[in-house]
Amino acid sequence: MKKLMTIVAFAVLAFTFAMASATAEETAKVFKFYCSQCHGLEGKGDGPNVTKDFPVSPRNFTNAKEMDKLSDADLKNVIMDGGPAVSKSPMMPPWGKTLTDADVDGLVKHLRTLCKCKGKQG
Amino acid sequence: MKNILTVALSVVFLASATSSSSADPAAGKTVFGAKGCADCHYTDGPAKEKTIDDQLAKKGPELWYAGSKFQKAWLAKWLTDPKPIRPQKFNSLTEENPADHPKLAGADAGSVTDYLMSLTSADVASGKVKPKNNPKGRQIFTKKMPCSGCHQYTGRKKNIVGGRSGPSLVEAGVRLNPDWILAYLQKPKVFKPVKMMPVFVGLLSDKDMTNVARYVANFKPKKK
Ligand code: HEC
Ligand code: HEC
Ligand code: HEC
Repeated sequence: MKKLMTIVAFAVLAFTFAMASATAEETAKVFKFYCSQCHGLEGKGDGPNVTKDFPVSPRNFTNAKEMDKLSDADLKNVIMDGGPAVSKSPMMPPWGKTLTDADVDGLVKHLRTLCKCKGKQG
Repeated sequence: MKNILTVALSVVFLASATSSSSADPAAGKTVFGAKGCADCHYTDGPAKEKTIDDQLAKKGPELWYAGSKFQKAWLAKWLTDPKPIRPQKFNSLTEENPADHPKLAGADAGSVTDYLMSLTSADVASGKVKPKNNPKGRQIFTKKMPCSGCHQYTGRKKNIVGGRSGPSLVEAGVRLNPDWILAYLQKPKVFKPVKMMPVFVGLLSDKDMTNVARYVANFKPKKK
């Protein structure tokens, strides 16, 4: 009986890990596909769209000091509704009609791994 | 004498151009297969892409609605002399467009044009979008929305400005059917279920979309 429990526990654990890593992998793909064109493959704000006549620099996600000023809710808000929703440039597109809620939650976590910061709390 | 020759030559050229454009779609379909075009382009709709991986696996844009998307005269010319449309290499953020698209000779280009123009989509209404440089459309394209962040177009000083991740819209009015531009904005799922461009349905009204489509469709070569 104990053995069975252990097996079940392991199976559940393995399953959860598989799910979690698949999501992180999926999120990395979403980031690369939609966000890198402006924010760059590593999130440094240097994607191929950022030529000399690009009006504002896309946020460098590896800049912990700037990223720390924003809470997770702020991040979600700007990703869903675009720059103007937070009095920023309209060059930051609204993605709310393109991405799912889960995609955006995943992206917020992904940005936190890029900045290695927790962001404004509360 | 030289003048007469030039005139005679242009007449011959024009005649051959018109005769090749009266070729039939069936012949074009055969050429399309024989020249390997189908290796990189699919021509049977509806859209097949469901995931990001599906989109990235493609070697070239889908052509199943080419007849609704392109202007015939542009297509016939482009197939004989393909100039880059996307500034970046297809599906790449790091490499430039290598400008190495296969070329077709005149007669083949004519029949392939007829074939591609026969591939239409019922989701494109006709006669809705009249190209016009309208201030509302310009405002959306250059200020209100990030269109210019991803698409090149001709700026005020006749210089090329704008982003590089989307197809260039420089002279898009010569290349694209104005009505298709509107349909593309209104029905993203029909033409491009998975793409790097945001969905604007629900963000731009039908009126806004029409205005911006009219503005893009008015991108034509500037008279010197
Ligand atoms: C068309 C280019 C473009 C694309 C594509 C883009 N962004 Fe941005 N983004 C910008 C620009 C420009 C800014 C800076 C706006 C400003 O500072 O006024 C920005 C800023 C941001 C910010 C910081 C907002 C703030 O309050 O400082 C976040 C977070 C962000 N983008 C997330 C994303 C995510 C996630 C994606 C992909 C889903 C994405 N962006 C795609 C251009 C883009
Ligand atoms: C090796 C892959 C490959 C082959 C083979 C190929 N194409 Fe293409 N085709 C592409 C790519 C990539 C583009 C995008 C080019 C650009 O943006 O400049 C393209 C663009 C096009 C376009 C414009 C589509 C659009 O949406 O912008 C047409 C039309 C076209 N090809 C027709 C053909 C025909 C006809 C043939 C056969 C003679 C052919 N292609 C062979 C890869 C290919
Ligand atoms: C984040 C970048 C981005 C933004 C913002 C954007 N686009 Fe695009 N657009 C693209 C990409 C990438 C494609 C090509 C999609 C594909 O074929 O996979 C595209 C395709 C198009 C096409 C079809 C071009 C062709 O030859 O196939 C038109 C027209 C267009 N966009 C107009 C607009 C308009 C109008 C806006 C603003 C309301 C806009 N775009 C905003 C990236 C963008």
